[in-house]
Amino acid sequence: MTTLTRQDLNFGQVVADILCEFLEVAIHLILYVREVYPSGIFQKRKKYNVPVQMSCHPELNQYIQDTLHCIKPLIEKNDAEKVVVVIMDKEHHPVERFVFEISQPPLLSISSDTLLSHVEQLLRAFILKISVCDAVLNSNPPGNNCYLHVLVTLMCLPLQDFPWIVADEQEVHMQEPRLIPLKTMTSDIVKMQLYVEERAQKT
Amino acid sequence: MDELYLDNIDEYVNDHNKIVTYKWLSLTLGVHVNTAKQMLYHYLDHKRKESSAQLHATYLVSGKFVDNGQTSHKVSVVREDQLEDFKAKMSLVVSVHVYSVQRALLRDSGPLYAVDYDAVKDNLKNCSRYSAIHCASAVPMSSVELQQAREVQQAPTPEAENKKAGMNGDTSPVLKSSAKPPKGIMGMFANKSAPKSQDNTKEMKPEKKEDIEAPKSKPVAKANPVANFFGTQTLKKPEKPVKEEEAPQSSSRAAQQHERSKPEEKQETVAPVEPQIDTKKDSRSKTKRLEDSDGEEEKMEKKKRRRIKKPEPDSSDEDVIPDSPQPVVTREPSSPSPKKEVEPDRHSHPSSSEMKIRKRRQVMKSHTFLDDDGCMVTEKGYVSESYSESEDDFKPSKQASRDPIKAKPSSSKEDEKKTQKKASANSNKGAKQASIMGFFQKK
Repeated sequence: MTTLTRQDLNFGQVVADILCEFLEVAIHLILYVREVYPSGIFQKRKKYNVPVQMSCHPELNQYIQDTLHCIKPLIEKNDAEKVVVVIMDKEHHPVERFVFEISQPPLLSISSDTLLSHVEQLLRAFILKISVCDAVLNSNPPGNNCYLHVLVTLMCLPLQDFPWIVADEQEVHMQEPRLIPLKTMTSDIVKMQLYVEERAQKT
Repeated sequence: MDELYLDNIDEYVNDHNKIVTYKWLSLTLGVHVNTAKQMLYHYLDHKRKESSAQLHATYLVSGKFVDNGQTSHKVSVVREDQLEDFKAKMSLVVSVHVYSVQRALLRDSGPLYAVDYDAVKDNLKNCSRYSAIHCASAVPMSSVELQQAREVQQAPTPEAENKKAGMNGDTSPVLKSSAKPPKGIMGMFANKSAPKSQDNTKEMKPEKKEDIEAPKSKPVAKANPVANFFGTQTLKKPEKPVKEEEAPQSSSRAAQQHERSKPEEKQETVAPVEPQIDTKKDSRSKTKRLEDSDGEEEKMEKKKRRRIKKPEPDSSDEDVIPDSPQPVVTREPSSPSPKKEVEPDRHSHPSSSEMKIRKRRQVMKSHTFLDDDGCMVTEKGYVSESYSESEDDFKPSKQASRDPIKAKPSSSKEDEKKTQKKASANSNKGAKQASIMGFFQKK
């Protein structure tokens, strides 16, 4: 049984890589399931040994990748508390917020060789839950003015060398939110919770 | 039937918001798949009658389908709203049953696979326990039989790879357009082997020999990167006999020969210095080549033999270099016999040394043999058309190297030998690498 500390950056990088990969897959799947973009731009890909939907649009993909690339160092240092995917209406009011709460234990313990396969199984369950979240959520208002924002709540001071902007109050605050928990996972390397905040009246 | 299963399914579907497939249900509850299908049907029927929360279902439809006059058996998973249309299109419906029940409307079949994936993975050793498909002879092997099967599998897998590469080669135009670049080490091999194979094919085409191999080299290069790594070496090998044969014959293709001479020299230096590696290459050629690998080896051996024999009749030819015995004709010494032939050739060569203006392949051979006095003599022969001067330099150097032990008292000769060898080495460097490290530096 190997016990590593947070100072072991190699392992921290591995965990950050795993999480960022998962977040990329999850964001693409949310866009597909919630019909933020037309389904024609998505194609079937494979991740964690199951089929997932991923966008083909280069600018969209680049935007998601760039955002996650900036988030990665924060996750590495366990500074990012939540990663939120916000779907807004045309008035820039949030309609749905998919909140990924992430926390990593200070003392990472690798208890078995099957750790990564276990984590893969848990992430697969997350993907499956996102696929069926339609059942518990109301449909979004029609129209092409749905936006995607990624908000990161920091536990410490924000980085100075990255163009972060403080989110507007109206983009953060949701009127009459309804909380729908989707999935929780606990593993040796990361604890994650996914829930959705949905506005009671979407139209 | 016990009604408890209805509550179970209701809990899974409504409370947990799961997708309940018949396979997952049979593995979870430990019932036969047909029972699970009936359970799902009854549950769906029950809920529809109660008109409670909205449920969605998918169905598996199998039957005969006629498409453009061709009848085929089709098995599909369709959503409930597409079921009637699909059944109408089929000429004969053999089976229809509920595949899954869930609350969410599924947009694609991906989640269905994910559900079964985890269920099967958790019950990997007995995933077909409740299955309706049975085969009496499908019995798990014992550990002894399993080990034997693994040993047998290791032998035919290289052959299978060859066959696969062959099949891919046949459909290479399609593969090229749709294949994605392999990543990591495989991609590195693919990138390296592709240009190499193309260069080799360019050289081979003017010779118009082994044309069959040329087109195959490219699809082989792209389809099987690992094989290419060995394939490029095997491609070079047949070039040797081919080029060696043509060199004495064609005198008009001076430029081409000059180009060929450089890679050939490298190959030739490799061959004599490390004959063992040649055998390894042969073995690789056996496993990796698609064609008659054995036939190739025989051809190569024949060509080798031809090469060995050639110097004798060629000894009178003016093409061969004077003093440098074997290097002239680019033999591959695989045994002492070529060394013996070298000696008589050496004597015959000096007469024809002066002529050579003909451009020939450049070969450098290093032969170690026992002379009459039992001394180990190492001879280095190097021929270069452009280096006509060096040929003269080699004469005395070789004569001096003959008797290394006897030459001890005559230190002056040794000095000459060293200086001449240095000069020759320097001149050689311009054309090719003459050392054993040349093989490794290639990589």
